[in-house]
Amino acid sequence: MSTTAQTLGTQSLGTTGLRANEGRAAVAIAAFLGLGLVFLAGFAPASALHNAAHDFRHTQNFPCH
Amino acid sequence: MIIRLLSAALVAGFLAAVVATGLQLALTSPLIIAAERYETHASLDLPAFDLPELDLPGLDLPARVARTRAEDPASPLPIVLAHAHSGHGADHGSGQGSGQDSGQGSGQESGNAAPAWQPGPGLPRMAFTGLATLIGGVGYALLLGAVMLACGRVPTPERALGFAVAGFLAVALAPALGLPPELPGSEAAPLAARQAWWLMTAASTAMGLYLMAIRRVPITILGGLVLVVAPHIAGAPEVAATASPLPAGLAAQFAARSLAIAFVFWATIGLAFGWAWAAFGRTAPAAAHA
Repeated sequence: MSTTAQTLGTQSLGTTGLRANEGRAAVAIAAFLGLGLVFLAGFAPASALHNAAHDFRHTQNFPCH
Repeated sequence: MIIRLLSAALVAGFLAAVVATGLQLALTSPLIIAAERYETHASLDLPAFDLPELDLPGLDLPARVARTRAEDPASPLPIVLAHAHSGHGADHGSGQGSGQDSGQGSGQESGNAAPAWQPGPGLPRMAFTGLATLIGGVGYALLLGAVMLACGRVPTPERALGFAVAGFLAVALAPALGLPPELPGSEAAPLAARQAWWLMTAASTAMGLYLMAIRRVPITILGGLVLVVAPHIAGAPEVAATASPLPAGLAAQFAARSLAIAFVFWATIGLAFGWAWAAFGRTAPAAAHA
């Protein structure tokens, strides 16, 4: 591998690395939030939450009762 | 990126919730309320919400019911909202946050009026159904976006629709093969076992679809097939075959409507997410607080 190619490689890796980090953070945050919300609506065992979401849980076929 | 993802998921979840809430209120909620009427008739035929809040097991229920009825003969409308009878409240009031629901069967003796809060009949109940749909829709939309970006796919409406159909297969259709959508009052296996099987099936199907559709080489397709089929070979928690007071037609109609609504819910999430992703890519970030 030549020196030019190496510097070019590190340069582009630098910027795409940042992008990739940002993307990974976005994916992780969205996945965490998404799982949390779906748990809240579909699985949370607290009975007040269960009663509030009761009809939604039945319709979306989350195990209920 | 994160702002765009969250904004698009919020918009998609909201739009899907509007559509799905309308469908739920029109198609499934009436069936649920009808089923609760049967459920109540089947068990003691008592107006559970008329029972005092501090009802304890072992108290003389029939006498209590007779007294309630004597006091207010007009009240006994035989509807139990959100199965107040099933003892959830008694179970969770003491053991909050234990994270496991000890799986009361729905056929449990009724009469332990739950002291837990529940939305009032009519409008409040509809509103909370809508709220739950909104929370679930935004959650699913976030997961959809996360999965698409993790797979390196730009969320166009067409692609997002494809992923959304996969989401429907993973969390609605595949679990429904083993655990059909149930009305309140149907006989069912313990809750914890069903939740575990549901989660395992959804995760396994999602992973299987990923291996088959994204990786798409012979070995992963084979592995994906195995993952999709395995939960059904392992089998869902068994339901003891008992006679249910629910008419079979009601239950069948509910199952079909439930799956149809789930499909529309997911399709809307996919299309709206793809559309919103493009829309938030065009506009200035300041406008992304929709």
